Amino acid sequence: MSLWFELAVSGLITGGIYAMVAIGLNLQYGLMRILNISHGEFLMLGAYLTWLAHTVLQINPLVFLPVVALVLFTIGVVVYRLCFFRIVSTAPAVEVIEARSLLVGFGLLYLVQNAAYLTWGADLRGYSFLTESVEIAGARFSANRLVIFAFAVGASLALLGVLRFTLIGKAVRAMMQSPTGAQLVGIDTRLLHPVVFGAGIALAGVAGALLSMVYEISPAMGEPYTVTALIVIVLGGLGSALGSLLGGFLLGLVETFGMHFTSPSLKMLLSYSVLIAVLLARPKGLFAR
Amino acid sequence: MKLRNAMLAVLAASVALAALPWLLSDFLLALALSCIMYAGLAVSWAMFCGASNYLSLATAAFFGLGAYVTAWGAGALPYGLSVLAGGIVAAAFAAMVGAAVLHLRGAYFAVITFGLGELVRHAITYYEKAYEGTVGRIIAEAPESTTVYWTVLLVSAAAVATAFAVREGRLGLALRGIGSDEERAQTLGVNARRSKVLAFALSAFFAGALGAAMAVRWTYIDPPTVFNPFIGFQTVLIAMVGGAHTIIGPIVSAVVFSLLTEFLRLQFPYLFLTLLGLLLILLVLYLPGGLVSLIERWRIGERWRWRRGDA
Repeated sequence: MSLWFELAVSGLITGGIYAMVAIGLNLQYGLMRILNISHGEFLMLGAYLTWLAHTVLQINPLVFLPVVALVLFTIGVVVYRLCFFRIVSTAPAVEVIEARSLLVGFGLLYLVQNAAYLTWGADLRGYSFLTESVEIAGARFSANRLVIFAFAVGASLALLGVLRFTLIGKAVRAMMQSPTGAQLVGIDTRLLHPVVFGAGIALAGVAGALLSMVYEISPAMGEPYTVTALIVIVLGGLGSALGSLLGGFLLGLVETFGMHFTSPSLKMLLSYSVLIAVLLARPKGLFAR
Repeated sequence: MKLRNAMLAVLAASVALAALPWLLSDFLLALALSCIMYAGLAVSWAMFCGASNYLSLATAAFFGLGAYVTAWGAGALPYGLSVLAGGIVAAAFAAMVGAAVLHLRGAYFAVITFGLGELVRHAITYYEKAYEGTVGRIIAEAPESTTVYWTVLLVSAAAVATAFAVREGRLGLALRGIGSDEERAQTLGVNARRSKVLAFALSAFFAGALGAAMAVRWTYIDPPTVFNPFIGFQTVLIAMVGGAHTIIGPIVSAVVFSLLTEFLRLQFPYLFLTLLGLLLILLVLYLPGGLVSLIERWRIGERWRWRRGDA
């Protein structure tokens, strides 16, 4: 019994991080049709920022989280203005935005990842933080994993709340439903697009900061998360933030249980099998009505 | 007539390129080989994706499958046959998968085809580890590098010729119809499903054959090398930067990109991927129609100037 409990909690912890990365990516896609393949690179930047702050300045990583969010938000707005603004405003059709943003995403991926290699080298870096273990219902977890779970779920839920209950969230949902209609009723695209893009990047950065508390970090750490986030948003439905949250948890659970009962080297194989099975059965995502 | 001229041009170019091994040093020949391989990959990618507006990231999967066919058949199959077999295996795989996922569009299709590459890679890694007890394979008897060059040239030339034939034929018309409006194309009597699966398999055939042909260039083969997503991305980038709706665009851009990559790699070994990324962003932002739009723009300018002179 406690084994199942332990596996379930581990799955949810992994899933929480997946959800967080995926929601940011999904907002960018749902609102602007930007398929940002370099999303994970900003997760990596967040992780390195936190690592630097902790090892050089001895700042508590949790205290540093808002700084990471702010820095990455600014980076996101700048990246949007420099790279994606031109695409979104000049492309004649939605498919063209998708294709061109994918190409620019590849460019950013090369650029950011290799700049990180040049700056920090290829070595794995890490620090230890809250490593003592906590016992819950007979199962033992290290405290840092519980902390990152709480923060990941908290941030994801907070974002869902903002989307559902605030005026800006309403504007974002309106833009997803009908970009032209939203503009007609006076929603300012030129303000909203960079803000949402920046928020997505900030979310990825915070996810990276959280991950750096538990795992070792490297310049290549972001890519697998981008791929997983892509799977998650397809599972949950493109444009649906709640779908991404549930999809993230689902994938985390599938991976953890699957890896335990088969073999760790099958992890990616499992995720893709789930993805392909879902896409064949429900092409619009698991939770589409 | 137009098709015959194109075929003659492909034939002439191939004969001219076939003479390169006698003219170039080993280093330059390797460079030419990489240009020709990417030209073949990009043209075969654009054959399906350019016309039908699908964004497939499965090239790495087909390429890797082809390479593994060579690796598994090493010793048993002669080189020429394993190239053919590599193409056929990749095409069969593409037809099977295509029948299942080609009803998806846009981002869904891109994600799932990218997933395919990873899926095949992990499946082969697992199979090799669990049942063969190896991670990689050594190809002991590699053919001469000139043989490899001629084979790759032959496959790429066949890809270009097929691309011309498809474009001028019914299949190309069907694909372009699907690309601009699939429902309308179906209403007008295009069997969309069959055309898409056929074209997807055809384009996979060349990617697989090129993978099988190139496999012997590495003496040691393991999944991360041959299923390298870089090969797939590079192909898509080359085709789109060149102009995916044309045939000449991807060829020109394959040559430009391969030379540029090599130049940057030699000049700035550390900065090279960063520079490549930056260049790519600038190209997409400021030359969204691809390299071929430069030619088109120049041609329109010419015509205009000529008319003005005439008047």
